[in-house]
Amino acid sequence: MERERKLTVAILAMLILVAVIAIIDISFKIEEKRSREIKFVMPDTGAGVGIVRVEGPIELSSPSGPFSLPGGAESIVKRLDALAKDSSIKAVVVRINSPGGTVAATQEIYEKIMKLRKKNIPVVASMGDVAASGGYYVAAACNHIVANYGTVTGSIGVIAFSPNLRRLFDKFGIQMNVIKSGKYKDILATHRDMTGEERALLQEMIDSSYGKFVKDIAVGRNMSESDIMKIADGRVMSGSSALEKKLVDQNGTFEDAIMKARELAGLDEESPVYEESTSPFNEIFGQLNRFLGSRSIPGTEMLYPVYKLEYRYMQ
Amino acid sequence: MNLEKFRSLAWADFFLYSLIDPRALYRRVKQKDPDAFWISFIVPIFVSLSGILLLSLLGRESAFFYYKISYGWILVFLFTFIKILIYTSLVDVAAQFSGLKGNIRELLTLMNFSMLPTLFVLPAAYPFIVGDFVPLFFYVLFSLACFIWHILIIVQSISEMHTIEFGRAFLIYLMPAVVTGIILLLTGIMLVINTAGYISTFM
Repeated sequence: MERERKLTVAILAMLILVAVIAIIDISFKIEEKRSREIKFVMPDTGAGVGIVRVEGPIELSSPSGPFSLPGGAESIVKRLDALAKDSSIKAVVVRINSPGGTVAATQEIYEKIMKLRKKNIPVVASMGDVAASGGYYVAAACNHIVANYGTVTGSIGVIAFSPNLRRLFDKFGIQMNVIKSGKYKDILATHRDMTGEERALLQEMIDSSYGKFVKDIAVGRNMSESDIMKIADGRVMSGSSALEKKLVDQNGTFEDAIMKARELAGLDEESPVYEESTSPFNEIFGQLNRFLGSRSIPGTEMLYPVYKLEYRYMQ
Repeated sequence: MNLEKFRSLAWADFFLYSLIDPRALYRRVKQKDPDAFWISFIVPIFVSLSGILLLSLLGRESAFFYYKISYGWILVFLFTFIKILIYTSLVDVAAQFSGLKGNIRELLTLMNFSMLPTLFVLPAAYPFIVGDFVPLFFYVLFSLACFIWHILIIVQSISEMHTIEFGRAFLIYLMPAVVTGIILLLTGIMLVINTAGYISTFM
């Protein structure tokens, strides 16, 4: 029995020995991996360029849904604010891929970028597929604009629209009971024709926003308002055409924009680029929200007009 | 357990009988010389250690795994202990349903010792991992073999504990797995139905 017990202890000792060998083996692998990763992580420290992304239609907040996350112009402004406070950010690249959006949201981003410029943080705009209307408005706030040759840009102007369903209502014999406090309270109503007074009132708003648009572009681009007015008729143009008309400073890629930002900030070519960090959870919930969140009951947007003035390129 | 008993190597009997004679293991546990209850927990501790070492050796090197390895340790330890505790409780309940007397303390001791073969997966699979010769295949092969060995130990121990035949002991051991499987399947189906219903409300 004594012999068998000793044999058992020997077997257990052998198992422990194998475990110790495995631990040493794994420790070596960890050290090897860590040294490799330190080399990889090194460039992401110190002074560098921050990236801000303006994607899709610009609105103050993103559409709500069961998995909604902070989004829209508010989150872009927050990101710009965070970059402005970060001492390691010496320049910012705003990557724009947007057909524009609501007037207020666009102006919020424009003003925030102008504040960064006042703090002597160079801001470079990099245009993607589309940077038209409000998208261009945002770009105009930057020190330097880089557009791809094929970028769709321009579309300087303001738009508001609502469907006129009067004939449809008449056809089906539907009548709306409207009780209102003032004659303009149901402006943009879909069940009747727009009156001349209403049209004039809205036109005044459009003109006011348009004037602000042109003025801000002139300030941002350091051009005269009259020069802007010549091309501010809502026309769209390619990146190369925009360069000819001095709406952009350079034709190039996102990388070119980063290089320009480094140059303007006096950073070396290897300086780090700080992208917006998104956790895997945010990505999953973002996808779910895009799938579920922005859906409304079909047809309701026709009956209940949304009062929106937009700097937007209608695709 | 004092030093004298430790040096007598009487505790080694539990490990020895686990491997060569599970029926004798139960009889030895019942003698309580020394008390096997706390000693038995050495086995799940080393099973957890062995498990995480195998995961480390077989898994891909990722920054997350290596820097957050402490979470992995805690997770594997917790998982092993909770798994043993829950399954032992269920087997004890199944035994009582079969008209036998419940004995959770001794059953837990036996369940712990029955995990001993799992410790042999590491030394058996290690040469194949080092030699990079289909390591995953041999890991699965040895794991399966050791799992069958574990079942043989625990079923024979239960058979001896309740003085019942091997087949009935096997059924008592298997019953919780079958019931849990059915419950999990039904829960899964209900979860899918609920999720589909929840998503459809937003469409």
